[in-house]
Amino acid sequence: MANVVDIQVVPPPLPASWAPPASTGKATAPLVERRLLPAGPAYLAHVKRAVHKLTFEEHDQHAENERKRLEALNGTGVNGEDDLGVGDEEEGDDLLLLDPKEWKKQDHYRVLGLSHLRYKATDEQIKIAHRKKVLKHHPDKKAGVAGDANDDAFFKCIQKAFEVLTNPERRRQFDSVDPYFELLEADVPTPTQLKNAKNLNKFFFETFGPVFEREARFSRKQPVPMLGSYEDSKATVEAFYDFWYNFDSWRSFEYHDKEVNEGSDHRDDKRYTEKKNKAERARRKKEDTARLRDIVDRALAHDPRIKRIKQEEKEAREAKKKNKGGAANGASQKQKEEEERKKKEEEEAKRKEEEEKAARAEAKKAKAAAANAAKKARRQQRAAEGDA
Amino acid sequence: MAAQPNGTADAPIEVSLIPTVVGINFGNSYASIAEGSAECIANEDGERQIACAVSFHGEEIYIGNQAKHQLVKNSKNTITGFRNLLGKKFSEIPSDKPSVSAPVIQHPEQPDVAAYKVQVLQAAPSPLPTTASNTPAASNAATPRSEPTPAERILTVSEVTTIFLKSLVQSAEDFLGKKVQGAVISVPTWFEDAQRAALEQAAEDAGLKVLQLLEEAAAAAVTTTTDATSSGLPADRTQLVVDLGASALELHLLSLREGLAFSRGTLSDRAVGGDAIDDKLIRFFAKEFTKKTKTALAVSPAGGAQDARAEAKLRLAAEHTKRTLSASPGAATCSVESLKDGLDFAGTITRLRFDMEVRAVYDAVLARARALVDAAGADLLDVDEVVYVGGSASLPGLDETLAQGLREDVVTPFTAGTVVGGGVGDPTTILARGCALQAKLVATLADGTEEEREVRAAFAGGSKWTQARATSKTVGMLFPEEGAEGPLGGQWIPTVLKDTAVPCRRTLRFDVDLGEAEGEKKVGFEVWEVKEGVKIEKVKPPKDEEEDMPEDGEEEEEEEEIEVKERTVEKENLLTALHFAAKEAKKAKGRWTTKVEVQFLIDENGALEISAWEIGASGRGEKTSVSVPAS
Repeated sequence: MANVVDIQVVPPPLPASWAPPASTGKATAPLVERRLLPAGPAYLAHVKRAVHKLTFEEHDQHAENERKRLEALNGTGVNGEDDLGVGDEEEGDDLLLLDPKEWKKQDHYRVLGLSHLRYKATDEQIKIAHRKKVLKHHPDKKAGVAGDANDDAFFKCIQKAFEVLTNPERRRQFDSVDPYFELLEADVPTPTQLKNAKNLNKFFFETFGPVFEREARFSRKQPVPMLGSYEDSKATVEAFYDFWYNFDSWRSFEYHDKEVNEGSDHRDDKRYTEKKNKAERARRKKEDTARLRDIVDRALAHDPRIKRIKQEEKEAREAKKKNKGGAANGASQKQKEEEERKKKEEEEAKRKEEEEKAARAEAKKAKAAAANAAKKARRQQRAAEGDA
Repeated sequence: MAAQPNGTADAPIEVSLIPTVVGINFGNSYASIAEGSAECIANEDGERQIACAVSFHGEEIYIGNQAKHQLVKNSKNTITGFRNLLGKKFSEIPSDKPSVSAPVIQHPEQPDVAAYKVQVLQAAPSPLPTTASNTPAASNAATPRSEPTPAERILTVSEVTTIFLKSLVQSAEDFLGKKVQGAVISVPTWFEDAQRAALEQAAEDAGLKVLQLLEEAAAAAVTTTTDATSSGLPADRTQLVVDLGASALELHLLSLREGLAFSRGTLSDRAVGGDAIDDKLIRFFAKEFTKKTKTALAVSPAGGAQDARAEAKLRLAAEHTKRTLSASPGAATCSVESLKDGLDFAGTITRLRFDMEVRAVYDAVLARARALVDAAGADLLDVDEVVYVGGSASLPGLDETLAQGLREDVVTPFTAGTVVGGGVGDPTTILARGCALQAKLVATLADGTEEEREVRAAFAGGSKWTQARATSKTVGMLFPEEGAEGPLGGQWIPTVLKDTAVPCRRTLRFDVDLGEAEGEKKVGFEVWEVKEGVKIEKVKPPKDEEEDMPEDGEEEEEEEEIEVKERTVEKENLLTALHFAAKEAKKAKGRWTTKVEVQFLIDENGALEISAWEIGASGRGEKTSVSVPAS
């Protein structure tokens, strides 16, 4: 960058009588020879300009490139150590004021400054991020600085977040209900949107692409086929829908479990809560499966590729028929095809309905069972009291 | 080795992309070492100022400040002041100076090589071979001695340097936990090529890769042009570096132009230095000791063997006294147990008394500074900044003395308040930090292409790129003004100061007053070369003072005339003029102003190009340019 010096002097206005003197044609005073001290960045810049024969403007550009090179050499980390791209995230006031007692509600990734990585963060990255945060927020660092006694609250949050994210089982549970993605989950194009889209082709891939990418993280089978593009072959498209209709998700909802009431150590109480939690988990899981299914259905219904493939098939058939010379036959075949498709769709709808019904029934059953169990427990208790 | 603490593990070799490099200030009396981010490293004794001394005692080697204590009882086996002898032949070393440490002798085998002879104990040979049952095996040989045997060891100057540098690097590695991969070492300006080569060789023998041998003045310039120290100072300034080390005084007049530095003059004087201050101080204390105890004590030069030992003890204690004086305004103590004849000594000295004792040294520094600037064709008033280097320069009295000759607004580390508490202006660490910054710079240079290698080579000694041409006159803008004060007739803005290496570029941004009138507004200025000088006027002091003390005749005469110096600027050469219409003027408080950027560009032949443009809401305005040919 050109070094611009701001000076505080304000030159006075020109006198009215002033006329610029004609160029005197005089030359600058002769130069003198000096020996520079070969030190410092300014000398480096001077030599670079001389060696590469650069003007000042070109050198500015060059210096900018050099700065980028050094930055790359440094990695994004501090002290030249590679931090694997953890970086430094800004800590908002709301983050620093988190209550460690409410740790279940906190976003562990954000607490550790990993919100740009989330489920993609490796164990190594989590370790580095935790270390960085601890170095910054350890209560020992704040000792002596005047402040309220509660200033290790955020440190506790950090420890909790680290505890959750380093345990694979607990991390999976948290990832399942990551609040960041839960907010995004509603962001699926609605059928009306799809219907009204001006350029369905573009809109479809732009909106559904990220949805499937998001959902793919839950798959037990990796890699997951992605939405792809308009030009995909029939086989690819079919494989895609096939995979997503048979999606095997590891998502679970233990994280939302209600804590067993601390005060009561009665085992029935515990069992009751556990049972409730289990039912709740099953319900959520079911909901989630239905949600995903709905997304895939919606995608299938509006997929411009299906239309294209059908069109192509039709054309191919027609071409074939033309070759054979029978046009009427083709029409009937097309009708037949249409009927078949309708039939399939109906079947599909029926199946879905049935499934939903089954799910509802199951949920009902579970609820009833839970209620029964509770009733039974109460009855037993009463009986026991009566005996006593 | 004694300097190594227990459990020293080999520093791991890091695969980090930025090599670990250090800067070493290798003085004749003290050395210091700093790490990449310009922090001075303490050795395992907690010393940031490591004495250049190596002492042999029995099987042990003491290095650094521990070795200094050996000067009291073991001075024959203690080596000091070896840096200045590096690369010199034995015949070149003057032998007249009496030495308190191990004498320099001719190497017994190599011709004309300076060496030291020290008494050491050679470790005992390994015990007799043992059998499996751990009993000595039968042998006809005589039982070897189980004690270490006294032996003589001959060390060349460069071997001593290697031992010392090795210990420095070891300290740094212990501190950093990383292998040191390169270093920039400071050398005095007067070091000849042979001495530079010898130092480089000694460093290489110590397993240290020398990235650059940096002149001390350059190291000081690097430290003082980094953001940390130069904030608030103009980028173009003249700097006086006062390096008052233990053994010599070195003065440099540097011209710093946006970080690009060259020396306008250098002066070194071996007679003035911290040792001279020490001499005066111990003489003062010796006198006091004699007064208190009625025991004769002659020091510097010492009267006898007993006195010599007492002198060594006093010298060690005086070091502490000096540091206390530098750090605190009160009195400092000096206490030595059993100074002579079993008598203890405890004395105090105030800063005032101390300054009186060493006044001669301070005055000598000021006189040398005057001589230096005169030789460079400048005046002490031209100095914008003073930088102190070296332990003895931490004394506040020195700054007070120098201030008499300098401008009132000159910036020194004392006026900036950066001396105490290891601030950025701490004279003892400036050189090491400068070397560390330079090491970092050199280490990160790319060397992929031929041109990049050429750039790297420009940091080696005697590179052709250090030759540069500089302007000889200050060029600036003169904004004419009606009825302006002074001989210039307007507002003078110096832009490219004299002694600026070319090619150079200066860009200034400022507001211009356009007056109250409506209508077309114009910005215009003349470009002048000026002559800068110093006007000396003799002014009589005010009368009434003389009347106050009529009887004191002598003082009257002394105060008769006071020299008043003033810097002057004289128009010398009108180069050109530039004007353009202001289109983006804004009105505030009834007056029109506009923001203007003016750029002066001087190419390598001295041709000047001046461009100006307005800075408006929409960015840069139209550019107006005018150029002046080179002579």
